[in-house]
Amino acid sequence: MTAHDMKHAGSDSARLEAVGGRLSRVDGPAKITGAARYAFEQQLDGLTHAVLVGATIAAGKVAAIDSRAAETAPGVLAVLTPDTIMELKGASDWLGNPPAKPTYGPLAREVTYSGQHIAAVVAETFEQAVAAAGLVKVTYDETPAIVDLSDGKAGDGIPIDMMTKEWGDAQGAFAAAPVRICAAYNTPREFQAAMEPHGLIARWQGDELTIWEPSQWLDGMARTYAEWFAIPFENVRLVSPYIGGGFGSKALALAHSAVAAAAAKMLNRPVKLVLNRPQNFTSYGGRAATRQTVAIGADKDGKIQSIVHRGVNETAVDGMWVEPLGSVTSIMYATPNFSSKQNVVRVNTVVPGAKRAPGENPSAFGIESAIDELAYELGLDPLEMRLINYAEEDPQVKKPWSTRQLREAFAVGAEAFGWAKRSPAPRSMRDGRQLIGWGMAAGTYPVRRAHGEAVVKIMADGSVEVESSSIDMGQGTYTILAQTAAETLGVPVEQVSVKLGDSHFARAGVTGGSRLAGVMTGAVYKAAGQALDELIGLALSDPRSPFQKVQANTLSVKDGRIASPRGDGPDLSIAELMSAIGREKIEAKGDTMPASTTPEERYKNYTTIAMSIPHTEGNYSRHSWCAHFVEVRVDEDFGTVRVSRVVSALDSGRLYNPKLAESQWKGGIIMGIGQALLEEGIVDRRHGRIVNGNFADYMLPTNADIPDIQTISVGIPDPHSSALGGKGVGELAIVGIAPAIANAVFHATGKRVRDLPITLEKLI
Amino acid sequence: MTDIMHDQVTISPTTLSIHLTINGRDHALDIEPRVTLLDALRERLALTGTKKGCDHGQCGACTVHVDGERVLACLTLAAQVEDREITTIEGLADEDGTLHAVQAAFLEQDAFQCGYCTPGQIMSAVACIREGHAGSDEEIREYMAGNLCRCGAYPHIVAAVRQAAKELRP
Repeated sequence: MTAHDMKHAGSDSARLEAVGGRLSRVDGPAKITGAARYAFEQQLDGLTHAVLVGATIAAGKVAAIDSRAAETAPGVLAVLTPDTIMELKGASDWLGNPPAKPTYGPLAREVTYSGQHIAAVVAETFEQAVAAAGLVKVTYDETPAIVDLSDGKAGDGIPIDMMTKEWGDAQGAFAAAPVRICAAYNTPREFQAAMEPHGLIARWQGDELTIWEPSQWLDGMARTYAEWFAIPFENVRLVSPYIGGGFGSKALALAHSAVAAAAAKMLNRPVKLVLNRPQNFTSYGGRAATRQTVAIGADKDGKIQSIVHRGVNETAVDGMWVEPLGSVTSIMYATPNFSSKQNVVRVNTVVPGAKRAPGENPSAFGIESAIDELAYELGLDPLEMRLINYAEEDPQVKKPWSTRQLREAFAVGAEAFGWAKRSPAPRSMRDGRQLIGWGMAAGTYPVRRAHGEAVVKIMADGSVEVESSSIDMGQGTYTILAQTAAETLGVPVEQVSVKLGDSHFARAGVTGGSRLAGVMTGAVYKAAGQALDELIGLALSDPRSPFQKVQANTLSVKDGRIASPRGDGPDLSIAELMSAIGREKIEAKGDTMPASTTPEERYKNYTTIAMSIPHTEGNYSRHSWCAHFVEVRVDEDFGTVRVSRVVSALDSGRLYNPKLAESQWKGGIIMGIGQALLEEGIVDRRHGRIVNGNFADYMLPTNADIPDIQTISVGIPDPHSSALGGKGVGELAIVGIAPAIANAVFHATGKRVRDLPITLEKLI
Repeated sequence: MTDIMHDQVTISPTTLSIHLTINGRDHALDIEPRVTLLDALRERLALTGTKKGCDHGQCGACTVHVDGERVLACLTLAAQVEDREITTIEGLADEDGTLHAVQAAFLEQDAFQCGYCTPGQIMSAVACIREGHAGSDEEIREYMAGNLCRCGAYPHIVAAVRQAAKELRP
């Protein structure tokens, strides 16, 4: 399933194939021909279809469910309600904390948000299930809901002490500073909106459960299923060969996952359950709405004296999500005095979740808008303002950066954009009726690290297989791991097949926080190195090997052929050597964990995030960095904003495959354009319901919204961040785009919009 | 009320026997009239290359060709397209596996990441070029705007369509 036909992806040039080469996606041919079968596209005999019924109130109790009509509708096999669905065990959370309650009911009696699953219909066909789900009659005892952060009942929320960051005397220094700005910045509820909906197929065979489900974390989700059904971890097999986009949303087994798996067990039939598009806006959390105030005090030549930051994000009534709003605020600029605190406010929503650069993204909207405001207050160029306050070390933990090519990003980006030609005054650049604005902002994302494991097999025919339960949702995992194995072993990349997305493969932690490439290239590099050592060892020592008589300490492998480094003596293909020594395969499992790691620690490492390695561990503070330069055109009469040019210079360290990294960067920039100008979850204040939960009303950027985008790599290998020198790629580029656009809009119009998205009514 | 609703459901399913011509092959199907072309392809015929993103004609992931024109399979009932020529992503490359110029350009330009919107993008791109709407980058952006891509491959999609249009020019 996951072995890729390489005939279209290959390249003549060894340079393209090596780590750092611009090899085309090895999973590309499968994706462009329709051959790539995504998780819930598996074709199973006897497959049944489940459709969920969601609550139409945001708070209250389910008083009664009348399912008689649905039960007798054609093709219906079962109607599951809170009373009839099997009881599950509580599962521990993603940190590994034990469950708060011993049992778990994925269909709710107590409703805490609109759209919450309260019933499910299972039928022979999808059409029958959809029709019957419409026949389920629910009555409620409704209670008042807290609809959003601005609801009068919401209050100030709960202080999250672990988010507090303070040094110096921030309040005193701010009060004493000769130049001060203070403003509030808001971001709305936003959604990941992956094109592939969430969903799964669940099948039981005895007490063994197979789940085909798009997943950013096979091992973590397999743990949850195992705990829900009180079966051994090994009895769960999660399969996710391709993922149609995740952006943070597909890392956890969710209530709908539990419903499908329970239904399959109760009916003893495989069950397919796919959330419809509106359900994808209510069944898991997008980015929490946020509120920030940023106060900056500076001296008259622009040197920052103090930053005082306060943040609030919404969370659920019965679940906790903290969007770390001080994460960029605390590290981007040098300041002797700093204070950041954060509260969360409970509202009637599904628990918010991770969306591309959780924390850093809204944090940067606050600080990078505020620094622009301060530059105007001081009459300084926004780029100069940033250079005056450049942080030479991590101002929070007082450690040197591992690498920080941000000064280079500013210089290279400004040059490519033509920033020097900018006329500084607002409304000073125009093209007919269009006001032109040039804005900039910086971005950053921490290097999150963890351990990984991979199996590398050298087969009798000289081909190589790489196996890992990590995944490829479009970042290019298949491709960069093939490149890593090919380069390490000295074989053409066409001979390498990478198999991912099966929890029975070598284990992997979560694919999130831009950590996978660094972790997995390290694991494959190690496993492939072990396999190569074994191959060479056998070639030198096996009595049947033609190399046994060669007086050499080692051998070299290049282009799939093995020879002595001096070039004298035998020259064999790997297949010929394997045949000579009578080996079917050489297999090595490599991981990046200390040898003393216990099996329990390994399990915890891969199935929770409790063993993630802090980015400030040891002597360095590790982050990716970027600088964005944006041009907008604003219609003077209508207030419509178009982004007409983007130049971004980015430091993600060494790039394993620049072609694929550039795609991810541009994707982040485009999602940032959507965040800045289009995307906003709108809540009906009467019913606490998302009213634009579909692709026509929750507006994503389309092709016609996106201009040419230039990305420039300014990174250098960072040995402190990963085995092969890379830093995070996927989340970096979205950070700073929204403030760069807001700053450009200010430059164009003289209006400062501090409340995303920047829609026309805020400008006219 | 419940009984009326119940009756509506019980009387509606009438099985139709239809033939669909997909990628040059004939497929016989016994389906209810309410089955969409998209669900017929994905759930009955194992042709899962055509994707379901929204099921409401809002995203373009389900784009196929009917008699050479781009059509949203989620808004088309299977029974509507009996005796029409249906082409899906699985039927675009030559029998020997040689890629269509648009497919090859998508690969070369890295015009996708997760790949889920890609079959729809490619089917739209083939039609966009055939319609004569690939004359400039601006025109390509406009006529490809009905296909959403959340990974944000748009600039590379434009580059791929531009490249393929040049290669396909008579």
